[in-house]
Amino acid sequence: MFLEVRNLTKSFKKEQVVKNLDFTLDAHQTLSILGKSGCGKTTMLKMIAGLVKPDNGEVLLAGEAVTLKKPEKRNIVYLYQEDLLFPHLNAFENIAFGLRLKKLPQAKITEEVDKIIVSLELEGQATKMPNQLSGGQRQRVSFGRAIITNPSLLLLDEPFGSLDAGTRKRMQTLFQNLTKTYNITSLFITHDLKEALLIGDKIGFMKAGNLKVYEDKNAFINDTTTGVQEEINFWESLN
Amino acid sequence: MKNKSENISLGLFVLIGVVPFAAAFGYAILYSFGIIGVVNTGFTLEFWKAVIASGEFFKSFLYSAVIAFISLLISVGGALWIILKFRNQLERKFLSYISYLPLAIPGVVAAFFTLQLFSKGGFFSRISYNLGWTETTVEFPDLVNDAYAIGIILAFTTIVLPFFVLLFMNVYKNERIQELSILAQALGAKKNQVVRKVFLPILLQKTWVLIVLYFIFLLGAYEIPLILGQEAPQMLSVLIIREIKQYDLTKISEGYVAAVIYTVIVTLAAIMLFLPKKHGAYET
Repeated sequence: MFLEVRNLTKSFKKEQVVKNLDFTLDAHQTLSILGKSGCGKTTMLKMIAGLVKPDNGEVLLAGEAVTLKKPEKRNIVYLYQEDLLFPHLNAFENIAFGLRLKKLPQAKITEEVDKIIVSLELEGQATKMPNQLSGGQRQRVSFGRAIITNPSLLLLDEPFGSLDAGTRKRMQTLFQNLTKTYNITSLFITHDLKEALLIGDKIGFMKAGNLKVYEDKNAFINDTTTGVQEEINFWESLN
Repeated sequence: MKNKSENISLGLFVLIGVVPFAAAFGYAILYSFGIIGVVNTGFTLEFWKAVIASGEFFKSFLYSAVIAFISLLISVGGALWIILKFRNQLERKFLSYISYLPLAIPGVVAAFFTLQLFSKGGFFSRISYNLGWTETTVEFPDLVNDAYAIGIILAFTTIVLPFFVLLFMNVYKNERIQELSILAQALGAKKNQVVRKVFLPILLQKTWVLIVLYFIFLLGAYEIPLILGQEAPQMLSVLIIREIKQYDLTKISEGYVAAVIYTVIVTLAAIMLFLPKKHGAYET
């Protein structure tokens, strides 16, 4: 197993937000996680990223415990719900941010960034500042900036939540292509059932701090507590 | 209707904001060339040559620029440090309220406070005497009306630093620097890299216009350098007013020459600062 989360727990004051979280994920797989607002999804991602300290439990990445490591030492990238770009840097420099931290030679940085700009269909946008880009373009720059650092694990917190339906669909396809091209292992939080089924190799459902990861997509669809059956019934009733 | 009210607004702006300034500037130019003035006899370059030859204006300009620069450096640097170290504490209501207070203190009051605290007969000199550190007031270091303008810089800092603390606090929140810092960490940035590559560039880029405007403001400050400055060199406004108000009527025109040069430099700087920038397709 590439990612192992064991007994992870977190409380804020008296409220237990994440309860005994236990799951695993293979390398180069995406685990889609569904759940209502406030059920502990974001706290779970932040604990795995090292941005929130868990009360108990541990996180292992490729067999190595990373629970006590600082966020910058984990090689895990957490992507916010919004397309949060550095406002003082253009699209190229935003993508190159992680590479510049590693002090790579300029030629190498240019080569890597140009390559990813093509993958993200962002040709001609490299010199634009974040406020000159559309929502979808900003989200793609945000992806590029994360992927280029070759993270061991990518944590995405409702990344397409703020996009319109058309852009969202294009971004879902792009994300699927990128995960294959760059062999990405990721946890993908979403509120959208269709998106979860489309993007995830495995599906998890979080409720009141507890995460249930399903064996396969059919097990998820057949579970009456997830709301999938209600959704199917709704669409069938329209016929 | 809309055009009419726009025209009225523009007319009022020109009447209140432009006409008095242009009239005063025109008056200063005419005075500087000897065209008007009690003892002036007609157009001459004599006053301009005298000001340029004496070099006092340029010395004063440089002196003022250095003082304004050091005061701003301390204020901006101090404010950035405070935001970096004590931002969470400053968000508490009481401290946030306290940080607004210095903004309500007029320059002249700040100058008198500084004089009372740091002069040879002032508060700290007396403490130093009572503690036995100094035996006479002369032994207390020159902190006001001194050669290094320490008093002026102290007073400027007292007024300007709290403003920048509040400004940076707002920019920090509005630009979501907290989230961007966390993101930078997730991308592999160490704490000092977060400061150098995220915190400082964003805050400074978003506020540099105000920093430059404050530099211009301090360059032309009057009350504080008048009370806390030395005889020579003097800061610009003090020098200009001294020249214009002096008893030797033939020297008044030289004061106007200095005022004209100063106005031209500051106006050019302001025009460069506010030149329209190119906007992008999605810019809001």
